[in-house]
Amino acid sequence: MTHPLLGSTAIAGVGLRQYKRGCSPLPERSLLVEAVLDACKDAGFNPAEVDGFVSYGDDKNEPVRLMPELGTKELHWSASVWGGGGGGIAGAFGLAASAILSGQARAVIVFRALVEGASGRMSAAVMAHHLNDHLLAAGMTSPAQLCALRANRLFHHYGIQPAIVEDLVRASYHHGRRNPEAVSFGQEFDVRTLRESRKIAEPFRLFDCSRENDGAGALLLVASDLAKTLAKPPVYLLGCAQGSERGWGDLLENDDEALFATAGMRGVAQRLYEQTGLTPADIDVVQLYENFDAQGVMSLIDHGFCTYESAAEFIRFENLISDGGKLPVNTSGGNLAQGFIHGIGLPIEAVRQLRGESSNPVPSASTCLLAGGPGAPTVSSAIFANQIP
Amino acid sequence: MSKIDGPDAPYWEALENGCLKLPRCGSCQGWIWPAAHRCGACNASETNWVEMPLNATVFTWTRTWHRFGLTEAFNLPFTTVLAEIENCGIRLLGNLEDPEQVDPEIGQRLVGRIGSTRTPANELPVINWSRV
Repeated sequence: MTHPLLGSTAIAGVGLRQYKRGCSPLPERSLLVEAVLDACKDAGFNPAEVDGFVSYGDDKNEPVRLMPELGTKELHWSASVWGGGGGGIAGAFGLAASAILSGQARAVIVFRALVEGASGRMSAAVMAHHLNDHLLAAGMTSPAQLCALRANRLFHHYGIQPAIVEDLVRASYHHGRRNPEAVSFGQEFDVRTLRESRKIAEPFRLFDCSRENDGAGALLLVASDLAKTLAKPPVYLLGCAQGSERGWGDLLENDDEALFATAGMRGVAQRLYEQTGLTPADIDVVQLYENFDAQGVMSLIDHGFCTYESAAEFIRFENLISDGGKLPVNTSGGNLAQGFIHGIGLPIEAVRQLRGESSNPVPSASTCLLAGGPGAPTVSSAIFANQIP
Repeated sequence: MSKIDGPDAPYWEALENGCLKLPRCGSCQGWIWPAAHRCGACNASETNWVEMPLNATVFTWTRTWHRFGLTEAFNLPFTTVLAEIENCGIRLLGNLEDPEQVDPEIGQRLVGRIGSTRTPANELPVINWSRV
């Protein structure tokens, strides 16, 4: 039986505003409103007709507050995926589709906005969601430190060479260099920049970590039939899974031994493939949430693109770039090299890639996996396509 | 989970009294961590807090160099270990004495003693581990 999510909704428009951290010309909510207007303009859709909003990661902008500036006629749906980090980003599309398919809303914006002056440092906000006395007593007060524990287990218990992350980082900068919107636009990246950057929490150095930007992103999701009547070709949501498997979660670092050095995404990946009838071999491009590069490696493994054993052979620069790579990853530059507004740039690049609008086009790409924030207690992933299989 | 009002309050009380106590299901004898008021494995609601020796092995570790907020009481760099308590398997975050900055090895044996961390709000007990 066809899964109800398969191709029944589609992204019709996207909007992205990104600035250097601390440099937004507008307050956070105004920036978000502009991104929503951009997404509606992209779709050729009247912003006043948007009747639903979904976010994730403890976004502070309650949708009802956007109504006056957007001219919203009536709000029918507002919701957020639980979790302080980016784990819920892909699940937000499932939540938006649920509203549309159950008749509770017609046009839903998925968004994330982050301006330091309003929301503070994102890493601190994410941590505030999870902080407890066990973490405080041990001085473990940042996502970087907690992800570092997992990375060291990956490297030292599973025997994966720490240098495996370098090709992932290089591929991101290779793509970012050609993306005019990227923080790394026009810059040649020398891997020594990564190797010599200052230590943060071992094994991580600065360039192993995504670094925050001010900005806002918005994507308009509607029923596929409606999307076909709008300005841009529809990018269909083929499937979406969110949640957490048993033995993974906010467990004071007591996740099951076999899951500890993973992204926590094996369960959502398996459900996503079951829902869509697709396999890793059917994925043409991946937008991979990499809060930290080692977590990106774990996410690729969890999604079945490689194993602990084959990771070194698979995660190679030539395989990951849009210029003929087997599995181009983060074709905008991703969180590392495009910019980091809590990951919202990733689904936007998925849409642009599947429309043929990417700065790093992958010829004849028809499917794109969005792998949400790895290592978060609640995780999610989704698959988008420019045609329904 | 906070020191005063969580299901793990007995853990904090025990540390303040100089010993490590961890919760175990009174029915299936499984260790329960994070602490909870019932056992999700067998559905029993009787939890016993068992005193455990401060013996452990290294499950994983990190060494922090960046001054993150709320770490002001720590001298940089500082090494944190996720210590797997022997004969129970519960993992606890703690400090590793690491003056020479020698990378720990996974599986390496540790012995602990109870110290404390000053936070902006209060003083929290913590286990300081050293390599055997």
